[in-house]
Amino acid sequence: MFYRPPRLTYLFICFTVFCLLVGFGAATTYAQTSTKVIKIGTIFPLTGPVATAGQRCQAAVQTAVDIINNKYTDIKVPLANKEGILGGHKIVLVHADSQGKPDVGKSEAERLFNQEGVWAIIGAYNSSVSKPASLVAERMKKIFMCGASSSAALTQRDMKYFFRMAPTDETESIEFVDVLKWLNKKKNANIKTLGIIYENSEFGKHAAEEAKKAAAAGGFKVVADVPFSPGATNLNSEVQTLKKNNPDALFGAVLGADYSLMIRTMKQMAWLPKIAISYCSGYQDPVITKQLGGDADYFMGSTAYSPQFASLMPAVGAVEKIFKTKTNGVPFDGDSIQEAVAMFVLAQAIEKAGSLDPEKVAATLYANTWDSPLSLGGKVAFAKGGQNIKAQSIVTQLQGGEYKRIYPEDMSDTQIVFPMKPWNKR
Amino acid sequence: METFVQVLIDGLLSGMVYALVAAGLCLIWGVMDVINFAHGEYLMVSMYVSYWLGFLANVDPLVSIIASGVFIFIIGVLTYKLIIKYTIGRPGLVALLATFGLAMFLKNVCMNRFSPNFLILSNTWLGDKTFHAGNLIFPIPQLVAGILALVVVGLVYALVSATRFGWAVQATAMDREAAELMGINTERVYVLIFGLGGACVGIAGGIMPSYLAVHPEVGSMFGLIAFVCVAMGGFGSIPGAFLAGLLVGVVEALAGFYTAPVFKYIAVFGLYLAVVSLRPKGIFGW
Repeated sequence: MFYRPPRLTYLFICFTVFCLLVGFGAATTYAQTSTKVIKIGTIFPLTGPVATAGQRCQAAVQTAVDIINNKYTDIKVPLANKEGILGGHKIVLVHADSQGKPDVGKSEAERLFNQEGVWAIIGAYNSSVSKPASLVAERMKKIFMCGASSSAALTQRDMKYFFRMAPTDETESIEFVDVLKWLNKKKNANIKTLGIIYENSEFGKHAAEEAKKAAAAGGFKVVADVPFSPGATNLNSEVQTLKKNNPDALFGAVLGADYSLMIRTMKQMAWLPKIAISYCSGYQDPVITKQLGGDADYFMGSTAYSPQFASLMPAVGAVEKIFKTKTNGVPFDGDSIQEAVAMFVLAQAIEKAGSLDPEKVAATLYANTWDSPLSLGGKVAFAKGGQNIKAQSIVTQLQGGEYKRIYPEDMSDTQIVFPMKPWNKR
Repeated sequence: METFVQVLIDGLLSGMVYALVAAGLCLIWGVMDVINFAHGEYLMVSMYVSYWLGFLANVDPLVSIIASGVFIFIIGVLTYKLIIKYTIGRPGLVALLATFGLAMFLKNVCMNRFSPNFLILSNTWLGDKTFHAGNLIFPIPQLVAGILALVVVGLVYALVSATRFGWAVQATAMDREAAELMGINTERVYVLIFGLGGACVGIAGGIMPSYLAVHPEVGSMFGLIAFVCVAMGGFGSIPGAFLAGLLVGVVEALAGFYTAPVFKYIAVFGLYLAVVSLRPKGIFGW
């Protein structure tokens, strides 16, 4: 027989626990107020099919906050040489997991603002999540800093509090078509037809739309338009469709595990286009690249950063050292570094505005050009709608597991391998 | 015509693997009337077992299927002993919610221990090898997985239909109390069925790292398709689940190729809706 305490004892225990919880909550709030903190929320896909990318994005923001809050004399990025911003305010991050789902991302944004009381949000990797989550911020007149989401539609909404660092899929599509034209001219490549494979999401669909527009403008014919459901058990019919239409060039918007599945299915079906270029996708993921080994070689994509860019961006090395301690040694990639840039630019804007009034900070963000040693161009500036007009990326090709710079020509460090080496000759 | 045959081959090979995954679920559902929501996660765990054996001990997935099958058999037995046992005789929703919790638990344990990274096993015996018959391509890993599925489903069917244990299983499925009165240890039947159902999916998961990346979400879609196969084939009918698996694979491949790839799951789930509307007990159900 167990001893059953009387009902009053139960009530007393409940009351004590409640008081302790409320008490500790109040104490925490007080402690935070006394040390002058600015709460910033992050929303990334920490679980789900693209969790590996989301966790790196979160680690990038944490790295930036670590540098902003503490003094690092050896790191040559803005705000590194002093502790905190706005006269000693420290940034405190509150993390949220979108699971890569728009509805979850939206409710997490509401929770971060309403319950956690964050001052701004950084996120959300997936364009489909950034879209509704940033609408929540806009409605509340709070700032939403977006690092890596690439859907051009995000900055075509005329929003006042939304700022995006990465190049859009519109600019990337134009750049990819430029690569095809350049190859036709320089290498007599005779590329005429294009295939597009993309996940059936906000990001994929928009990338495909922009690809079609750019292809039409460049005089290329789209012969295969292949959307697929993310997280599929196989991509057989998708690759069969590509093989049947056999386009000269392939543009891909394929994230995470689907990217490795696509490559392996292409290998099994013994098919390759002459050239394959990817938007922000599994191509840029250093972990997937390593796992795929030689099979990942000769594929191409837009890259905002890879360790092979060290000579172009010397300030990254010291920052990356801290980042690697949070990712078990995995370096920055083109997506995660954009989230760090978002945090640094926001902190600089708060510092310059000298205020925590979101309207003032947003106006300051628009009015200035920001130093950004972690960006390819070294600068960040925003156009109406919040797009970073200084955003740049380089088209790279994987050769021997390394991202080699190919286009623009003046930034290249290696000759392109064209056409891609057939599977049986690798 | 050649393309049609190629697409058909791809569909049949995928379908055989679906059938193997579904066979385990079918056993549990048919005999115990328990919907195991963690079935997809069993697959995911068995893929991790196979991956880590390959990565750490250089054991090929073709050999690891034994270990992953045994491991998931044990997980199945533990699931019954620690969770399902206490839900028997209660509304079906209780077991469903309990296994849903187990699914979340397994997924998050793997996420926590192994990170959400995609793990690819390279240099396996089957690797990305293919067999060419004229212009037709047979991917060897999927071909071997398909043959394995045929053998395992055949063995399970033989076990259930032509052995004393199988008769005990059938009797327990029909009427547990009557089976107990006939001297059948129904508790033992339940334990072994849960283990056996797990072993089937464990074997399927064991071979998969030969051609599929391993990550915590990998089992979700396979689990969902297994439900579709079992419901379409008829609850408790192993041949039904097998044929439904093949049908799902073929419909998925043909619809994906001849309409649009994005249409393939619409076709699969549309077919499922049509079958359960016209024959709620499934094609082979009674």
